[in-house]
Amino acid sequence: MTVEDEIEIMGQRLNRKIKGLFGRSLSIREVDAGSCNACEVEVNALSNPIYDLERFGIHIVASPRHADMLLVTGPVTRNMELALLKTYNATPEPKLVVAMGSCACNGGIFGETYASSGGVDRFMPVDVYIPGCPPRPQAVIFGLMVAVDKIEQKIRKLEVKA
Amino acid sequence: MFDIIIKTLRTGRVTSKYPLKPDIAPVGFRGKPELIPDKCTFCGECTRVCPPGVIWLTKEKEEETLTLSYCGCIFCGMCEEVCPSGAIRLSQEYELASKTKDDLLTIIRRTV
Repeated sequence: MTVEDEIEIMGQRLNRKIKGLFGRSLSIREVDAGSCNACEVEVNALSNPIYDLERFGIHIVASPRHADMLLVTGPVTRNMELALLKTYNATPEPKLVVAMGSCACNGGIFGETYASSGGVDRFMPVDVYIPGCPPRPQAVIFGLMVAVDKIEQKIRKLEVKA
Repeated sequence: MFDIIIKTLRTGRVTSKYPLKPDIAPVGFRGKPELIPDKCTFCGECTRVCPPGVIWLTKEKEEETLTLSYCGCIFCGMCEEVCPSGAIRLSQEYELASKTKDDLLTIIRRTV
């Protein structure tokens, strides 16, 4: 099997999974936790006609209460710590957290200082890391594919609990 | 108004078929840095120059290890620039998303 075949199968699987698991839609709440705005520009690019995230049934929503997934960018500055935790608590279960960009993964170029805590995983469990400074829109789409694989496991866990 | 409609129709479809078809990054794109174990001399020049400090060299009695984490890498290409033996190269690959941080590590070793 070539790489092209593999990617093609992955794309089809993403579409099928989103339709099956979320009733045709996956809602994303984008949280800027002190990012330099490069990642936000890439997220904006995801909804333009070229990358068009809506064709997969993925929507960017305006409130964490409507969201299935948090897309966190930035190294989590001291001022955004509480806001990020509140957003996380407001998101209904099952929820996914995706750390987008090198800053959200590990602190990146900001590192760990008085004002920046260095990574989202200090505060909440992170499901998928998308490195890149900033990641290409295609890399973000790939990250979402990886994340959707993961939410299936989470839903199963909740079903077992209930 | 009419001109705009004509222009829109002429443009056609612009949406890329990305997950269905691979999208190759343009020439000069700085993607995943790759270590070439045969060329590396473990001089540690890249560890000194890396701005976020995600490359590190550990020396033990019998083994030297060079670790590169893509988690935190800003893809500036300074390691590639400074490497005297050309053992680090930035590739075109950008699909790096992973579920664990350990998957984002590249480690090369040599025994002394």
